[in-house]
Formats: sequence, C-alpha cells, structure tokens
Amino acid sequence: MSELAQRMLAATSKPAREAALLVLEDGTAFRGIACGAPGEVFGEICFNTALEGYLEVVTDPSYAGQVVIMTYPQIGNYGVCFEDAQAAHPALRGLVVRDMCRTPSNWRSEVALCDYLEREGIVAIEGVDTRALVRHVRQRGAMRAAISTIDLGEESLCAKVRASEPIVGVNLASGVSCAEPYRFTAHDLPAGKAFALAPAEAARHRVIAYDCGVKRSILEGLARVGCEVTVVPWDTPAADVLAASPDGVFLSNGPGDPDAVVGTYEQVGKLLGKVPVFGICLGHQMICKAAGAQMEKLKFGHHGGNHPVANLLTGRVEITAQNHGFNLVFPSVGPLDPARSSGVRDHAGDLRFWVERGVAPVALNSRFGGVRLTHVNLNDGTAEGIAFTDIPAFSVQYHPEANPGPTDSHYLFKAFCRLMDGYDDYLDIDIAADRLEGWRF
Amino acid sequence: MPKRTDIQTILVIGSGPIVIGQACEFDYSGAQACKVLREEGYRVVLVNSNPATIMTDPGLADRTYIEPVTAEFVEKVIRAERPDALLATLGGQTALNVAVELATSGVLDELGVEMIGCDLPVIQRGEDRKLFNECMAELGIETARAGYAYSVEDARGIVAEIGYPVVLRPSFTLGGAGGGIAHDDDELTLIVSQGIELSPVGEVLVEESVEGWKEFEMEVVRDGAGNGIVVCSIENLDPMGVHTGDSITVAPAQTLSDVEYQRMRAASLAVLEKVGVQTGGSNVQFAVNPADGRMVIIEMNPRVSRSSALASKATGFPIAKVAARLAVGYTLPEIVNDMTGVTSACFEPSIDYCVVKAPRFAFEKFKDSDDTLSTRMKAVGEVMAIGRTFEEALGKALRSLENGRAGLGVDGHVRASETKEGYRPLLARPTCDRIVYVGCALRCGWTPAEIHAATGIDRFFLDRMADIVAVQEALRGVRVDDIDAEAFLIAKRHGLSDAQIAFLTHSSEIVVRARRKALGVVPAFKAVDTCAAEFESPSAYYYKTYDAGESELVAASSKPKALILGAGPNRIGQGIEFDYCCVHACYALSEAGYETIMVNCNPETVSTDYDTSDRLYFEPLTYEDVMDIIDAERPDGVVATLGGQTPLKLARALEEAGVPIMGTAADAIDLAEDRDRFADLLDGLGVAYPPAGDASTLDEAVRVADHIGFPLLVRPSYVLGGRGMAIVYDARQLRRYMGEAAKISPDHPVYLDKFLESAVEGDLDCVCDGDDVYVGGILEHIEEAGIHSGDSACCIPPFSLSDALVAKLREIAWRLALAIGVRGLLNIQFAIKDQQIYVIEANPRASRTVPFVSKATGVPLAKVAARVMAGEQLADMGLPLDSRDLGYCAVKEAVMPFGRFPGSDVVLGPEMKSTGEVMGIAPTFPAAYAKTQLAISYELPRSGGVFISVADRDKRSIAAIARDFSRLGFDVLCTGGTAKTLSASGVPCQKVNKVSEGQPNVVDLIGDGKIVLMINTPYGHGSRGDGYELRLAAVRHGVTYATTIAAAQALAAAMETVHDDGLGVVALQDLPQWE
Repeated sequence: MSELAQRMLAATSKPAREAALLVLEDGTAFRGIACGAPGEVFGEICFNTALEGYLEVVTDPSYAGQVVIMTYPQIGNYGVCFEDAQAAHPALRGLVVRDMCRTPSNWRSEVALCDYLEREGIVAIEGVDTRALVRHVRQRGAMRAAISTIDLGEESLCAKVRASEPIVGVNLASGVSCAEPYRFTAHDLPAGKAFALAPAEAARHRVIAYDCGVKRSILEGLARVGCEVTVVPWDTPAADVLAASPDGVFLSNGPGDPDAVVGTYEQVGKLLGKVPVFGICLGHQMICKAAGAQMEKLKFGHHGGNHPVANLLTGRVEITAQNHGFNLVFPSVGPLDPARSSGVRDHAGDLRFWVERGVAPVALNSRFGGVRLTHVNLNDGTAEGIAFTDIPAFSVQYHPEANPGPTDSHYLFKAFCRLMDGYDDYLDIDIAADRLEGWRF
Repeated sequence: MPKRTDIQTILVIGSGPIVIGQACEFDYSGAQACKVLREEGYRVVLVNSNPATIMTDPGLADRTYIEPVTAEFVEKVIRAERPDALLATLGGQTALNVAVELATSGVLDELGVEMIGCDLPVIQRGEDRKLFNECMAELGIETARAGYAYSVEDARGIVAEIGYPVVLRPSFTLGGAGGGIAHDDDELTLIVSQGIELSPVGEVLVEESVEGWKEFEMEVVRDGAGNGIVVCSIENLDPMGVHTGDSITVAPAQTLSDVEYQRMRAASLAVLEKVGVQTGGSNVQFAVNPADGRMVIIEMNPRVSRSSALASKATGFPIAKVAARLAVGYTLPEIVNDMTGVTSACFEPSIDYCVVKAPRFAFEKFKDSDDTLSTRMKAVGEVMAIGRTFEEALGKALRSLENGRAGLGVDGHVRASETKEGYRPLLARPTCDRIVYVGCALRCGWTPAEIHAATGIDRFFLDRMADIVAVQEALRGVRVDDIDAEAFLIAKRHGLSDAQIAFLTHSSEIVVRARRKALGVVPAFKAVDTCAAEFESPSAYYYKTYDAGESELVAASSKPKALILGAGPNRIGQGIEFDYCCVHACYALSEAGYETIMVNCNPETVSTDYDTSDRLYFEPLTYEDVMDIIDAERPDGVVATLGGQTPLKLARALEEAGVPIMGTAADAIDLAEDRDRFADLLDGLGVAYPPAGDASTLDEAVRVADHIGFPLLVRPSYVLGGRGMAIVYDARQLRRYMGEAAKISPDHPVYLDKFLESAVEGDLDCVCDGDDVYVGGILEHIEEAGIHSGDSACCIPPFSLSDALVAKLREIAWRLALAIGVRGLLNIQFAIKDQQIYVIEANPRASRTVPFVSKATGVPLAKVAARVMAGEQLADMGLPLDSRDLGYCAVKEAVMPFGRFPGSDVVLGPEMKSTGEVMGIAPTFPAAYAKTQLAISYELPRSGGVFISVADRDKRSIAAIARDFSRLGFDVLCTGGTAKTLSASGVPCQKVNKVSEGQPNVVDLIGDGKIVLMINTPYGHGSRGDGYELRLAAVRHGVTYATTIAAAQALAAAMETVHDDGLGVVALQDLPQWE
C-alpha cells in the first residue's frame, strides 16, 4: 500500500493491515485485507443473505467445512455478545466480508467481531467486492475456495484449492458433535437474553437430542417450550435412546453431506415409529435418509433469513431462516397416494405445483407408510418439510429456531410438544397466534 | 386468493397539494396504484386537487377529477361515478381523513361503497392513541407512559406523574403538526394551548419523553390471508426527538443485533394484525433505549407513507404497487417480484448496500422562524443515496442536497466556530446543519464519545464519520499529482467527492477528475435487485460505487439513448412540477424509440420508480456523478431543460465536456439568463422590459435607484425561486436590503429592476422547434406584480386581458423563442401596465406551470417538448389550435407552509414560499377559484366576521369588496383608518381595537373565533407591528386570509359562487384531450 494511502488510513478506525487473498477453485481471485486470524484455510464457498445476525452465522456448526460470504457489506456493526453464539467455538473455515467494523456499537457488545475471530483462530478477509463474488458463485455454483494471509500467489493458492478435500461425501457432523451426553434445561438459558425473551414454560417433556452440530438456540427453543433435553453424540445407538424411554427424540441440524452421516440415519431408522421424532435441517435429512429417500446437492444452497416457505396445511407463508446445501428429492420418498393427493398420481418436479392447488400430497414410503409434504420453498419449489401420517414424526429443512432470522416458524417447537402429547393435529397452529410467544416486551 | 370480481369500479383518493409532511411520495404511490388497478381490469376513478402529479394525467385513470380532496367533493364524485370500492390508503393522511369522514357520515354505506385496504375501525385503532394504546397493552407491547389533556391544567396533572421532559402530540393532525417537546411549565402551556386548537378533537397526548433514544421504523406489508413481511427496517441517525421526516435515516437498521431486530419484527407484524390491517402497507415506529434495549412502540400508520416510498426505493420492492394488488384480493405469494421475475413478492428483501436518506430544509425562506428540529416536521424534501457502505452513502446524500455542499464538510464553507467549545451549542441543538457541525467538531478535536454525549447520535455513525474526517484531513494540502490510485480509492470509498478532494488539494474538480480517471479509478455500477444477487435479476436500477470489482450494466440495445436529468430534492421553488416534466419526457422519448435513462436522487418521485425509465440511476445530480454515468452509458443526448435549475446549471459544463445536449443549446440558455445579452436581444426585437441596473455596493445601488426611480425589485444574481428577492420603496429600505443581501451571495452583484406597481403579471408557456412556436397557455396572475409567480394564483385563459393584448403576447413569444434559439420549452414572464407589455424574464426550460397548463388545456407540453428535442416538428404533431377558446376556466393556487413556521410572516412577496399547488376547473373564474380555496382550506366560511385592515394605497379599492362581503351576510369589522373609509363609502362596519389600542382587540377576536376571514394588506417589505401579529394569529387559528386586494376580490367572488352552491365536478376525460 502506498505511503499516502497508509497515512490516510492511519487515523481511522482501520489502519492498514496485512493483505489477504481469496481464491476459488475455478481460478477467480479477490485480493483484500485480513480481518481475522492469520493463516490459510480451505472450504466450500457459500453466501448468506441475512442482514444481521453475523455472529449466529459465524458460530453455526452447520457451516463446518465452509467459507462464508456475508452479502450485507458492513459486518460487525453491533459487535459480539457471547450469549448470541450458537456454539462454544466457530466451526466455519473462513469468513469473507466487504467491510469489517472495528468500532462496534451496542449495549450488549463485549468485543469487536474481528477481535473475536482472531481469538478463535478464524481466518477472514475484507475489502472484497462481495457482490461480484456472490454473483460469480450464483452463476457457477458452490465450489472449493481458500483464504490465505500466507500465500498471496493466486496460482499457487489455486493449486492448493484444487488439491483440497471437497465436502461431498465427508462426514462433517462427527467433528462438531459432542463427545459425551449432557443435559440442557431451562437453567441453561442465557440470562443476557431475558430482556427480550420470556421465561421458559414448566418442563413437561423429556427429550433426547442427537447432536450433529446442534445450534444452541435449538436447545434453547426446546427448553423454552418445556422440554428437558439430554444431548447425545451423533452416533448414539437407538437402543440406548429407547432404553431411556424419552417422550421424544430430536434430530439436530448439522454440516455437510447427509449421505455421509450414516451413523446417525441408521439409528434414526430404528427410532422412527417407536417414539415421537422431530428433525431440523440435517435432522430432517436423517429422517428422509432413514426412509430411504434421496438427497440432491443444490447449486449454491439456501443460506439466509428471507426464504418464503408455504405451509401446505394452513396455506400461510412463513419467512424462514435457511442454511443447507443439500435437499430432499421428494419423489424419492415413494409413489403418490392419489386418494390423499387430490387425485394426482404423478409427482410434480416443481413442488410449487402443490402450493397453487392448496394440497398437501402424501407419498407412500415402503418402510414407514404415508409421508405428507407439509412445506414448500416458494423461491425454487423444493421440499421444506414432511410429516409422517402413520408414525409420530415430522421434520423441516429450514430453521424454526432462527438465530439469525425471522421467528415465524417458532410454532414448530410447540408442534413437537403437541406431538409428544399425542395430538393428531399437532401441526395445526396459526403463525399469527403464535407470533408473540416466547417474546418479552 | 385470486382478484375480486365483485367490484368493478374503484375510487382512488389522492393526497392533494404538496405540503410539508405530505409530498410527492403520494403521487408515486397513487400513480402506481392507478396503473396496477387498471392493468387488473378495474375502472379507476381518481380524485386529487394537485395538477402537478403524474397520477392526475388523464391516461392514468378512467375518470380523473381534479377537485378538492374533501368529503363534500368526493361525495359528489361518488354520486356521479358510483364506485364499488374506495381505496384511501395510498393518498396519505388527507385521503384517510376524507375516507373516515365519508364512512362516519354514512355516505359510503348509503351509496354502497366498500373501503378496501383498511376500514374505519382499523383507521381509528391506528390513529386514536387511546385505542392504539389499548391494543398494544393487549399484545403486551410497551408504549411510552402517557395521558390525554384537554386543557393546560390536564397536561400539568399528567406531568406531575411522569415528569419533564414530555412529548406533546395533538390528535389527528397532519405530519405531527402542532406537536413538540416541553421541558418546563412555560413550554407546556404554549404547546398544549396551541395543540388543542390545532387538533380537530381538541386533544393533546402528553407522553413520557424518550428523547435521545434510538429510533427505528419497520415497513410492513400484509395480505388478506394473513401473510406478513417486513420490507425494510430503517434506523434514524438523529435520535428520538427529531421527527423522522427531519432525520437523516439509514436502511437497513445498523446497530440492532439479531435478537433485538427479530423482536421488533415480531412486534411489527403483531401490531398490524392487532390493529386489523386487512391488506397493504403500514409503518411501525419504535424507540429503543441505547442503555438497556428497552423497546417502546411510538406509532403505526395503517397506510402507505413517506417512509414506504423510501423503503420501496431503498429495496426495489414496490410497496404501493403490491398494496394495490393486495387490496383487490391477491395474496403476497400470488404476486411476482418484479425484480427477479421468477420469485414471489412474499419474502423479505435482502439488500447488499447501505441507503442514507437526508432531509432538505428551507429555513432561509422563513426568517424569524425557529430552526430547531423537533417532533413537528419542517423538511420540504429529501434525497436518498445508495452506497456499499454507510460512508459512501452519507457522502453522496450530503452532496445531493443542492445546498451548496459537496459532502461532509471540506467544501469551502466557512467554519461555524473557531474553538472546540464553540461547537457545544451547535451540537446540542438539532438543526439542519448539525450533521455538518459533527464533521467540524471532529476536525476540532471532539471525540466520537464526546459528540455522542452531546447529540445522542449512535457511536456507530459517529465512528464512521470520524473515519471520513480522518481520511479528509490526511489529504489536506497534498498535491493532486501526488495522489495515487490506492489513495484515490480510499478517499472515494469514504464518500469524498471530486469537489471535496479539489478543495483539500487546492485544485479544481475538473483536474481531480482527469487525474482520477488517468489512474483508472472509476466507479462501478451495481444493481438494486431485492435479493442481494441471490437470484438473477433483469433489474436496470443502478447505483454507483467504488467497489469496482464488477460493473453490472447490461449491454446496450440498438436504440438511441436519451439521458434525462431529474430535479433533485423537492424544495421551495423546485418541486414536483419538474419531476412531472421529466417523467413525461421519459414517456415521450420512449415512444419516439429511445432507450431512456433517468438520473435523480429524490426517493419521493415517480421519476425514480424503476418502471418509469428503461434504466434508472439513483445518483446525485452533480457534475461528477452525472459525468460518471455519461462515461458509462455514452448517451446520444442529454435532456437538461426539464428538471428545473438543478440540471440546467450542469448543462454548460456537460456541453463543454463534449456531451450532446438535447434541445435548447447551453449558449441559448445563457442568452436568456445573462441580463445584458438578454436586454440587447429584447432591444433588437423592440420588446419592452422594465428599466434595470446592477450594483455591487450600496453607492452603486443608490445611483441606479436615482436613475430608475423607486419602487425597485432587488435580488441577488443567479437565484432560484426568488430567493433573497424584495421590493424596496425608498432609500432606507434599499440600504437595509443591501446590508442583508451581501450575506446571501457575496460574490455576485445585486440586480435592481424597476418595479411595476399594480401591473398585471402573467406567464406564457410555449414550445419552439426552431421553425414554429406552439403557445401552450397564457396564465393571468390573480395577485398583482410583486408576488412571486410561484406563489400567485393564476387563471387560464387570461380573464381580464383584451384579445389584442393576448395576440400581442403570442407574437412576442414567437419572436422571442425563435430569436433565443429555443428547441423545447420556453416560459416567459410578463407584466402589463397601462396596456404596455413588459417582458420580465424568459426561461428556456420547463417552468413550474407546465403541468398546470397541460392539465388545463389537454395538451401535455413536456411531452410535446421532448418530441421536439427528439427531432419532431410541431407542424407534424397534429396539435389543436393554440388560440382556441377553451370554454372553461382553470385556476391554480399556491399552498403555503406558514403553519409549520411559527413566527414567520405570511405576507406574499417576490420570494417564493409556497410548497405546492391546487387546481380548480369550472365554467367561470370565481367558481374555479372557489374550488382552489376549498382544496386548500377544506371549507370556506359562509357567515361570521370579516376583518379588514388595508394599506393606504388599497383603501380606494376595498370598499367594493367590503360591500360584497356585507351583502353575502358577513359582519364587516375593521380598525380606525379602514373603518373611516368604509363608513364614508356607505358600507356598514364595526370598529374594533388595534392591538396597540388595548383589549379586547382584533387578536382577541381571532382567538375567540369571532373572525372567519381576514383581509390584511401590508405596506412594503418586511412590514412589522400590528399587521404581522394579526397574520400570525390568523395562521395559528386557521382563519382564512388574504394579503392582497386582488386575492380578496377573487375570494369575494368565490364565496358568492359557493353561496349559490353552484360547484359541480368535472372529469378531465370530459374535456378535450390531445393524444
């Protein structure tokens, strides 16, 4: 950087810092400035369109193995409040932003995001034209990438990217799961959020949660609706779980390729039908896999806080938080049951077909019977949620716990309680009526 | 749900004239609604009194009524058109109020009209603080602690419980009029007593002060199926205490963590449901305590608002368009997002840039008025700027304001204080300049923490501004040639303009630009697409940024390209009229086969609707920003003559840079604007003009005065809207003026023109193609010479001019237009005294009166002009004969903002003060004039006291007017001198005390409501004393008043018409329309 340029930045909140380089698998390179820890990291690149909630993104274990671009250009504005973190430590590989704020402003902020990243050893780059980068990823699809503060040679770094391990076929969940079981109850709710969130309901249900990289806010969400949760490692045998005779089993979110998480979905297959089951994100995929369904990799995934999802049971649209790169291929669940699909025999490729007709179709699964499609993404017509008609189980691909993102789908935690209570119409909850549940003003 | 088929005809109510708090954002929303509803196959009937709007173009509705937006006239329209439904949520508070009146009076029920969007109980729950607070209590959402006062005593009682300071809000007033903050008993007494009078229900809310808290707005849209989305969050830079319309605001919210933001979102959606908004847009405002996150809801508006226009422009999500579709039964998921073309409108836009809105004020127009910003809105316009960072957007916003600034300071303006401490009072008091003082204070050594303590502005914004200032200071004194590419990029990314860099480096903007481009530091253009690039978007709505990795401009088509320069922020003297002209040019050039490119920075307007042009650049109208766009677009022609002074000022510099200007050449503009060249031209043509001279010193001015004789019209050179213009009657006044004028414009001389006392003034708007001239209209002013043409009422056709004079005027227009070399519009201002025509000025550009003339005659002049610029000949257009007899009268009247500026005199003069205009169409002049008065004041008194007090020179003409009022059944009251005149003329009148003659005097009578109409003509400039007090009292108490004899005369005739109840309604479609 020129002497004048350095002098111009010297008195700002951001004096000149060391250079960093971002390179994609296809050779595209962006030069920028380091704004986290020094180092060199590799991962699959993806972008998140949430306007706020960067800390929740950075600490979401589902981002294990990924380099995340934030599309909103100025990140770190309100600093870091540790209680907003979704895990003890970030699991993502690297962070890409347009502009990192070093002088945050918020009454809850404890440290600046850049300092947090440095402390946590997360490599991050700023000064990148993130919009250009996002457009590139959108057009070319998800791919491997690297951020480095060590190797600033585009060609040499690109060669390393091409030699790095892709995330397809890799079990990333095992790396972010807990080593030992632990309990999570209302006592574990963060005191620092009490200004905004209502106290938990009295505990009524005992739930075992498979941890494939569970977000803290999911456990909080379960505790708030009255669940005493025992969190268990990703590959805990079903027999052990059933032996504890819980009221319900929860399957958590988690990173990467669902096909690789055999250790979980094999156990899930043994749990379905024996105990009420609720899954979120990877948990949803585990249920689908247990039912023998197929997954597909999305071109650049869904990562953000503004995806409209139609609830086929109520006709309402929920604005949802999303974070996944793989998706259920609904037809692979089984053939349609025309009697419960308004006479339609053939699967529709674009599931918005069902939204337009106001029908929640049922597919017949060879292992578990009827599987009703309950939720559809309005942006691209992909499957977002299913409910089994013959066994007590349901799941959604998106994130009702939000954090970050809109909380329209909070009702799903209540639905899980209603499922454990034995209601057949457990999903029949009006979003509008549920909207203020759990908040404090 | 599909659209409703049980309704066929929908009545849309507009917002009436542009006033402070309700500007052209409602033209934008209303025009969108009309377009959408017609696309959906409904028959649209529109009522709006504002002729300068796009929505009142006869092509936008099936039936367009330019009539007063009052229950009385809307009822007449309903009876004539029998609509099935009424959509009132897109016309601001005015439309909502009329709808409420029609609903409560039973008219809607009687005539079977359904309110769509929201119904009466919803409006009441949204607007009645008591009902609203009850709703919030049921939801458990906190509101500020408060109570209702119906007297000053009530208010004191409430304060005893909640303590000072308190916020005072009169119920049901427009844009918070009459509100304020009281810190002590005196302030409480004053504001509460005024507020009770202003409130139609005599009620003032006394509320716990949340002054200094952070302020946020959420723009929410809901559909009939119960789906709700937040389109945009907005954070105010100025903390609570400053009206959001007067605040600099930023989108999206910058300093809320996810849990805080989501709590606000959930509350916003719940509020809409609780209040019962069935469909459409609403905004919800919150205050957040920066110390502990405590959140309090301030208010919600169950309708489209100024901030929803802003949110639409900020995100690319067209709220009004969507709201109109929702009102007729569609649900959000059924509506396609225009910006992607594939995804639905049921989502929450994600933006990947920062938006800053900055208000534009006009305090210089209202001397003696307090310029402290408070909860009562005072801004007359606003700008919006988009950048990738707050720094970039703030710099753009501040240089968009057209107030001589080039960004955050360092632009040649004098320092407000030389000492650090000197900034303390300037920071503590919120004013229009405070943002600049923050920059100055940072340069003077104030830390962001200290400024935060003094202003309450969030540290986030102050730290960003401190960075900007640090970058600026590091550049100070550097030679331009020593700035390298990296340094340039840093400066640009911190929002510095070329002009600021030139100032810091003692260079010129042109040199800085050349150096910058030589180094390859050029901006990129990025698209606004609602989705942060997640989906492919055909959007051609762009902003400029120095994130120069990639520019997203689409490849050019084979069509020629026309770039239209917009009018910038609304301000007094340059309002919606110019936006109207730009939009029309866009339509006309598009029809003529051009690809149209719009450049503007005003978020309220139709021109900045991405639907209006083929490509939209939301950018400041400065040389730098416009040239950057021209460099990228390479247009075949630039239209600079339709957006008022703003683009006109750029025309010469653009032409010098080799940019092809469409229409009238820069030299021709100069010929008309340069007084000496223009005088030579008029001499050559044998056209008379008032004797004139110029002076740089008082001595020179006195010499000119000796030569020409008093009275004189004096003004600084190069002014807009008559800024700093005055009439002086003697040497004493001239001396005073010269003293003040020097402050206004030190580098320019003062012009002195012979003032033609009691001459008749007029405007003529015409189009010239180089061979032919088409006279669009000749407007006769109601007020005599000396009142700014923008403030004067006027009539088409000229009702008192002889055919011979009119023919002569037309002939002068022909010769002048051809001699100047006009290719497009020409506005001529003239005065007639003793049958002699004097040309006062000629402006080779669109004038303020173009929309009015177009509506009055059915010939859209701006479109005609644009076609001429595109090379068409007038003779080929098949225009109707311009000398035809219209067979009806159209009157335009100005709307004044005095109610917003307590303390400022209401007398009209050569300096323009009006914010907007209304139009009345009727078979006769008095009837048309009556409609304009009704459109402004909503009703005309039919009985009561008329107070008359006139200057000596008016005493001879007042008797006949007083006699008319007496005959109409009014009691005539007057003070000594006028009473003597009237008694001598045999007009019955009652003498009352002047203020100086003890009580009860006339001000007491006004206070008691005994006076319904006041005629008070002042003598000379800046007249003070009794008259001033009287006029202030009249404004405060909402008494109809006239300050000129001509207006009094017109008012008397109008009242006679109203008395006879002869006002019908007329649709534009029933009058002859060209095209």
